[in-house]
Amino acid sequence: MIYRLLAKSYTRTIVAALVALVFAIAVTSIVLSVSGFDPPSTFQAMFEFGKEPDSVVNTVNRASGYYLSALAVAVGFRMNLFNIGVDGQYRLAAMLAAAVGGAWALPAGLHQVVIVLVAVAVGGLWAAIPAMLKVARGVSEVISTIMLNFIATAIIGFLLHPGRLAVQLGPNNIGTKPISSSGRMPGIPYPGSELKLYSFLVIAILAGLGYWFMINRTRFGFDLRATGLSQSAAVASGVDARRMVVMAMVMSGAMAGLIGMPQLLGGSYTYSLDFPAGIGLTGIGIALLGRNGPVGIAFAALLWAFLDQSSQILDFNDIPKEIVAITQAAVLLSVVIVYEVVNRAGQRIDQRRVATQLGEVTA
Amino acid sequence: MSPTEPAVELHGITKRFPGVVANHDIDIEVAAGTVHAIVGENGAGKSTLMKILYGMQRPDEGTIKVAGKEVAFHSPADAITRGIGMVHQHFMLADNLSVLENVVLGAEKLHGIGGKARRRIEEISRQYGLGVEPDRLVEQLGVGARQRVEILKVLYRGAKILILDEPTAVLVPQEVEELFGNLRELKREGLTVIFISHKLDEVLSVADTITVIRRGTTVDTVQPGAVTARQLAELMVGSELPVPELRESTVTDVPVLTMRDVTVRDADGRTVVDDVSLTIHEGEILGIAGVEGNGQAELVEAIMGMLPVESGVIRLSETDLTGLVTRRRREAGIGFIPEDRHRHGLLLDSPLWENRILGHQTRPPNVKGRLIDRQGARRDTERIVRDYDVRTPGIDVTAASLSGGNQQKLIVGREMSGRPKLLIAAHPTRGVDVGAQSAIWDHLRHARADGLAVLLISADLDELIGMSDTLRVILRGRLVGEADPATITPDQLGSLMTGAGEGSAA
Amino acid sequence: MRRGVKITAIVASAVMALSAAGCGGKKATTGGGGGGDGKKTVKVGLAYDVGGRGDKSFNDAAYAGLQKVQSELKLEVKDLEAKEGESDNDKIQRLDLLAKSGYNPVVAVGFVYATALGKVAPKYPNTKFAIVDDNTVQAANVTDLLFSEQEGSYLVGAAAAKKSKTGNIGFVGGVQTPLIKKFEVGYVAGAKKINPNIKVQIKYISQPPDFSGFKDPAKGKTIAQGMYDQGADVVYAAAGLSGTGSLQAATAGKKWFIGVDSDQYQTASAAEKPYVLTSMLKRVDTAVFNFVKSVGDGTVQKGDIRFSLKNDGIDYSKSNPTALADLPTMLDDLKQQIISGKITPPEK
Repeated sequence: MIYRLLAKSYTRTIVAALVALVFAIAVTSIVLSVSGFDPPSTFQAMFEFGKEPDSVVNTVNRASGYYLSALAVAVGFRMNLFNIGVDGQYRLAAMLAAAVGGAWALPAGLHQVVIVLVAVAVGGLWAAIPAMLKVARGVSEVISTIMLNFIATAIIGFLLHPGRLAVQLGPNNIGTKPISSSGRMPGIPYPGSELKLYSFLVIAILAGLGYWFMINRTRFGFDLRATGLSQSAAVASGVDARRMVVMAMVMSGAMAGLIGMPQLLGGSYTYSLDFPAGIGLTGIGIALLGRNGPVGIAFAALLWAFLDQSSQILDFNDIPKEIVAITQAAVLLSVVIVYEVVNRAGQRIDQRRVATQLGEVTA
Repeated sequence: MSPTEPAVELHGITKRFPGVVANHDIDIEVAAGTVHAIVGENGAGKSTLMKILYGMQRPDEGTIKVAGKEVAFHSPADAITRGIGMVHQHFMLADNLSVLENVVLGAEKLHGIGGKARRRIEEISRQYGLGVEPDRLVEQLGVGARQRVEILKVLYRGAKILILDEPTAVLVPQEVEELFGNLRELKREGLTVIFISHKLDEVLSVADTITVIRRGTTVDTVQPGAVTARQLAELMVGSELPVPELRESTVTDVPVLTMRDVTVRDADGRTVVDDVSLTIHEGEILGIAGVEGNGQAELVEAIMGMLPVESGVIRLSETDLTGLVTRRRREAGIGFIPEDRHRHGLLLDSPLWENRILGHQTRPPNVKGRLIDRQGARRDTERIVRDYDVRTPGIDVTAASLSGGNQQKLIVGREMSGRPKLLIAAHPTRGVDVGAQSAIWDHLRHARADGLAVLLISADLDELIGMSDTLRVILRGRLVGEADPATITPDQLGSLMTGAGEGSAA
Repeated sequence: MRRGVKITAIVASAVMALSAAGCGGKKATTGGGGGGDGKKTVKVGLAYDVGGRGDKSFNDAAYAGLQKVQSELKLEVKDLEAKEGESDNDKIQRLDLLAKSGYNPVVAVGFVYATALGKVAPKYPNTKFAIVDDNTVQAANVTDLLFSEQEGSYLVGAAAAKKSKTGNIGFVGGVQTPLIKKFEVGYVAGAKKINPNIKVQIKYISQPPDFSGFKDPAKGKTIAQGMYDQGADVVYAAAGLSGTGSLQAATAGKKWFIGVDSDQYQTASAAEKPYVLTSMLKRVDTAVFNFVKSVGDGTVQKGDIRFSLKNDGIDYSKSNPTALADLPTMLDDLKQQIISGKITPPEK
């Protein structure tokens, strides 16, 4: 029966994820015990706090950004392109989109579309730089995207300056001119909470569906996956590897452009000094955890956001909330290992099944 | 070592991998001071056996005795201390180091790295007639000389028993002769050589004893004087061999592939295909003979558009292919059976039906517009599995779980399904079982009768001669000769390939 | 694979055993619901921005105030930190958690809490809130704790100019924000008052949104080193933790260093102490303590409370008298002129 289960790749993923989670809880429990805290009540407190309506809203909102980020990373991962630059791409995209959105007041509907399109375009163009460098000069995208993250930070620092794209928001805070109400996306109420769910969540879900469709149902997706599975076979089959690098990278960047939108359109309406940073790097871990699949990533993003969120209560109980970082790291590390083990077991089962069904037990 | 004891004895060796038994009940006795050949088809279990003997893998059952004493190897280091050394098929030498440095690398404790080591190397070289110069850079050495360095490396570490894994695969005939001379020298000095090969003529000429392995077990041990190559081959495959041959000519005068003065350079600027012109007509199979590494692979890649052409013209019927990308060339009617099916022909981790799409991503029944037509692709995969006798429990298993022969049949079926005008078949039957071999030849014959033009590249000279309407010989990127497959013998073709008959009738 | 399942089972049971056997450890609670008994003990809550405790500067000053509250006023305290990449909603929830759990007063450290506080304060009209470095929240129960950093910077600028023999001094800013700009302009103005021809080298470690400039001692050292090499003999580092690097550079080159926020003479090593000329003191600790105390007294006032030289919320330190020598005479005179309004140091 286990044989049949492991024959399906998604069950392999689920088994791997569950084992990894159990392992991570075990590691966390050990760390908690050693530090003199009580694991069951700690987990219970996290869980109780995590299921409060306010927490649910914050978790889901946080997860929407993580989800988009991991999708952006996954587009590249699918063809063995490591876009470490998602972070810079989304921050630059969010900043320029916020500036455009704040500069002009357009009719509601159009206003939001323009903001999102600017973000997508900026993200895509910024990602096109490492793509071109890789195709034309053979520069590793890992190196170039990391460098471009720093450059993006510098550009944002330069532009986000009073007199350029920024205005004074308080005595000590600056940011882009706030987007007028015509460009905002009203939140979705959640029972029992005064906080609201970002309505951009819907677009994040659509992006996930689009990603799934693109990967599994289109010619382009097939070429993308083929390139990731075996570049040499893909090239021999007629895939233009250089074109694919550019396309995949630009798509990854365009997706990255969406990451800041839930927050920008649903919460802050301005790109200020305290706009969330670092989501692009978190996305790498979440894509890994979710095995680059749209559903897996959704669960991974929610898990990650839940851990982040419920860690707040740890601080409140004088338990260092860095403990959650240990849980997250343990999940990530173990899922990679466990998946590899489970996958190999599954492959061996596959081969044995073929051999036994054909009655050819030989080398 | 007592002269009466066998150098190596293997008894009842069994090795299981999950799902398969790689070796079972292997029994071999290797007499000291002999050259003992182990022959078998690709995948018969020779490599596993050698890995066991060299300590890279441990047997599940059975015993290994070296010079009469039972041993258990945990690593190659254990094997080396027992005097067993291995010369791998792929050389493990650092190009930018000298011979001396390569030899002492990892064995610095034996004789240091200075004058003492140099004297020892020179001494071994003289004793066995290897002719190795310690101060030459490895990158300046030819293939044969590099192999001698590998042998010297093993001797330097004190080996008395040498395992040579397919040593002639990379050599041209003269180098093979030199190698055999070295082996006889080693034998005369009292060393034992275990020689793995599937080239039967070579085995018959050099070995004192031959053990045949089939399907993971030893089927017979014979003396070279007592068998012919054909008998040996039938022992290897366990049945009568299929014969590659063509019936009446189907060659027409309609050119399909026309190459004019095609020159290709590699990334370093070396000319790898040099001024090649050839024409393949409808219904014609054109065979390219040549020692591996003489530009065959690059010629294929140039036709496929995977390597840029420096100058010259490639046409497919009326279409000028020069400047078209690989995908357009495939669409124009080229089918491609690649030399390395794992690297270029399959997505090993994907199911069979997705592999059906590979290379045909733009054509029905795999796609509708820009979308993948899963139903169409799956249906057509079922058809290929049926028509081409691909042995598989279903089309959802991964390509990796099929045997080599079945993978190849799937590829052949797929490439034929594109209704190509030209089929490039690079080593189409390499590493496949006899059944698949004969099936693949059948498919080639049928397609030829239907007017397909085929470019056949093979290292199997019988296959080349038997399956080609026209034979061309490639040497250092140039087409240097033409031969009539009706009259030429493998020996004659072999000497053409090394340039001995250059300028015959080009 | 059966082995794999077994391993999984073992790990799973190990987790349960651990969880069950984890007795003796501190029990965690879920927070919330504690609002009812808030009357019995006064509990003080404090929320930091990212970085929080341990920055040896701004946040630590706030923490020092909280500790003083704990030890002198014998009140229960709780401080919470922000997480990287969080949004306003998370800050809302954090403040909400404190207020809901009966913490009163609640102090938000840093302007990043402005938006969140604007949402939470109206929900808890009986809870007193304070926010440091911001005055954009308009609510009856919110006190804004603002500082005139430019005044103190003006004084240390004057000290630097007087002390300099080369007529060349430096300013190392952590991150180029409007806040740190106030330090810079005050410093420059004070220096020019003493020596109109003085050369002031100005450098920032990072630009927002890169806030690493507050916690990068290596860069703080390199930049200060560069300034000393260019002829400066006094450097003022308004750069949080990065300032410790600048102090190392000063010690190595036997040049003067001016600290910021806390009195860095106190935290410097014995070898470094002689080179700490003075520090510009921003008494966030005093602000926090006074605010909490005023809540207890019932004298709390809403709106802006400005901490400046006048009410000792801003000052310069005199803990290294050998270095300062006769400077305090002049500095205290300038201080009086600022307090009396005769001099108004610029803010921008």
